[in-house]
Amino acid sequence: MARQPAKEDSLLRMQKELKRAKEKDQKTVRWIMVIDQAKCAGCHACTVACAAENKLPPGVIYRPVTEHEFGQFPNVRRSFQPRPCMQCDNPPCVTVCPVTATYKNAQGVTVIDYARCIGCRYCLAACPYGARTSDFAEWHAKGVPTLRSVTAGGDWAAAGYEEKPAAEYSKTWDPRSDRNSPVGNARKCHFCLHRLAVGMLPACVTTCVGRATYFGDRNDPKALVRELIGSPRVMRLKEEMGTKPAVYYLV
Amino acid sequence: MDNKSNKLIVLAVAGLVVGGWGLVDRLLHGLNPVAFGSVIPWGLWVAFYLFFLGLSAGAFLVTILAYVFGLKKFEAAAPLAAFTVLVALLCEVQFILLDLGTMHRAFYQFFLSPNFSSLMFWMMVLFIAMLGLYLTKTCVLIRGAVVALAADRTCCYRGLYRFLAFGQTAYDESIRVADQRLVRKLSWVSLPVGLLFYWVNGAFFAVVPGRPLWNSALTPVMFVVAALLSGGALIAFLMLTLRGDDAEGREVGLGLGRAVYYLLLAFLLLELTQLFIASTSNRPDAAFALERIITSGGGLLFGVVHLCIGSLLPLVLLRGGASSPKAVIWACALIVVTFVAFRFNFVVADLAVTRLEGLEASYVHFRLSADYVPNLNEWLVSLWVVSTGLLAFVLGTRFLPVVGPLNGGEFHA
Repeated sequence: MARQPAKEDSLLRMQKELKRAKEKDQKTVRWIMVIDQAKCAGCHACTVACAAENKLPPGVIYRPVTEHEFGQFPNVRRSFQPRPCMQCDNPPCVTVCPVTATYKNAQGVTVIDYARCIGCRYCLAACPYGARTSDFAEWHAKGVPTLRSVTAGGDWAAAGYEEKPAAEYSKTWDPRSDRNSPVGNARKCHFCLHRLAVGMLPACVTTCVGRATYFGDRNDPKALVRELIGSPRVMRLKEEMGTKPAVYYLV
Repeated sequence: MDNKSNKLIVLAVAGLVVGGWGLVDRLLHGLNPVAFGSVIPWGLWVAFYLFFLGLSAGAFLVTILAYVFGLKKFEAAAPLAAFTVLVALLCEVQFILLDLGTMHRAFYQFFLSPNFSSLMFWMMVLFIAMLGLYLTKTCVLIRGAVVALAADRTCCYRGLYRFLAFGQTAYDESIRVADQRLVRKLSWVSLPVGLLFYWVNGAFFAVVPGRPLWNSALTPVMFVVAALLSGGALIAFLMLTLRGDDAEGREVGLGLGRAVYYLLLAFLLLELTQLFIASTSNRPDAAFALERIITSGGGLLFGVVHLCIGSLLPLVLLRGGASSPKAVIWACALIVVTFVAFRFNFVVADLAVTRLEGLEASYVHFRLSADYVPNLNEWLVSLWVVSTGLLAFVLGTRFLPVVGPLNGGEFHA
C-alpha cells in the first residue's frame, strides 16, 4: 500500500494563510470563522484562553460554549457549540449604537471603540446572539487575602493579571480600575484583532484541542475556511434574522 | 398649602438624605453596585425612566384637548402641566444618566460622533427639544404673574421674582398679546414634537430584533397611549388636589378624568391585544416573556398591582364617580403610582428571554443571569431621583405662579 503524504496540521496551514492575507490589500480581506461541532469536545479551552488573552473580568465572556443534549437514555447525544461574536455583515448592534462606538472595520470585524462607548447597553439588548457583555467592574482577585505576597509586599496577582490592561484592539489602555474603560463599556469578541495584527491566529483557534475552530480569509480561494464553508454540513445561527453572520458551523 | 408643602419638603429632603447613600455608592463605584447584568442590561432605572417619560405627557394631552379638540377650558391647566413636564424631564434625565456605564461621555459623545440611524440618538434630540420647548413655555406662561410679583413691595421673595423676570418691570397689554401668540405657536410645535418623542421612545424598543413583545408595530402606539394615560392622570390628580377648591380647576380636573377613563380603556385594549397575540402565536420566546410578566414579583406585579389596583379599580372609580373629585383623585393616583409596575414588566420580561439555548448555563455568574430583582442600591438611587423631582415640584408650585389663575392673563396650553 502506497504511503499517504502526511496531512498538514490545520493550524500550520491557517498560519500560512494568515501570513498570505497580511500581505494582501487589507480592504480585500474578510475574516471568517468556521466551527466544526463534530470535532468540538466541549473542553472549554477556547473560553479560558479567550478570557486569559483578553483579561476578562468575572461576568464578561466572549466565547462561551453551550451544551445541548438530545434524546433519552440510553439513546443520548451531546453536542457543544462555541459562540463567539458572529461578526455579522448586517449587525443590529451597529445600527442601534447612538454614538457610533461600534462599527465594522475593513476586514468585516465588528469592533468597539472603548473611548467612545457611553455604556448604554442598547447593543446588548439588540444582539440576537447574546454575544455582548457589559463590564461591571468585577474583579477576580479583589479581597482575596492569599494573593497578597508577604515577601514582595504587594498584591502581585491582581497587579499582574487584572490591573494591567489587555492588548485589545492593539491599543494601550489605562490600568484597569473601577473607572477606566473598558469598565462601564460593552465588550465582545473581536477575533483577537491585536493578535492578527502581529500575525498570530486568535487565541481560541490556537488552543482548540480538537482542531474544531478554523479561521481565515473568506476572499482567499485557497483558504481552508473557504473549503469548509462549501460543505453541505454548513449552517449559520439565526439566519432568518438577516444578520449574515461571519461564523459558520459544521453540524 | 404651606403646611402641606412643608411636610412634602421634609419628606423630599429625607428621601435625598437616605437615597444619597445609594447615589454616592453609584458615583464612586460605577455600575458595580447594581443588580442587573448583561442578560438583563436594563432594570429598575430604565423602568423609572419610562415611568417619568409617561408622566411628562400630561401637557401633551392638555395641548391636544385644547387645540386639536378645541376644548379651551383645558388651557387653564397649561402652566401646571408645562411645569410638570420640566420636573418629569429632570427625573428622566437623571435616571438615564445614572444608568449609563460611562455617564460623563453622554454630555459630549452624542454631539461628537452621532449615529443618525440609532433611535437613542433621536431620543436625545427630542429630549432636548422637549426641554427647550417646555422651559420656554413655562417662562412665558408665568411671565405676567412673575413681573407682577417682582413689582409687589410686600412680596417676601421679591428678589427671586425680579431675577426670574430678567429685569422686566412692566407687563402691558401688547406684551401679553405677544406672549399669547408665542404660547400658541409653541403649543402647535409641541404637538408633533411630543408625538414624536413618545413614539420614538416606543420605537426604540420595537426595532430591537427578535424580542417577542417589543418587536411589534404596536409598541410605539402603546407608548403614546401609555404616556397620555399616565401623564393625563397625573395632571388630573394635581389639578383636583391643588385647585379642587375653585370651579375652574375642578372642571378641568374632572374633564381630564373623563379623558383618562377613555385612555385607560384604549390602553387596556392595546395591552390585551399584545398579550393575546403573544399567547396564541405558539412562539416559545413569546410564551416565556408572557409567563415572566404574569409571574413577576410573585405574580403580584401584573395581576394585583397593574391589573386590579392600577387598571380595574380606577376604571370603576372613573366610571361610577366621574363627577366626584374624590373618586377621580383616587383613580388617577392609583393609575400614576402603579404604572411603574407596567413599565418594569415591559422592560424586564423581554430581556429575560434567552437568546440562544443553553447560553445561560454555559457560564455561571450573576451578571449573566436572567433572574433579576432590583437591589437596595437601585432603590436608594431611585429614591434620590424621585426626591429631587418631588422637591423641585413642591418648591416650584410654592414659589412659582404655576397653579393658580394668572392676574388678568389668559392661559394657553
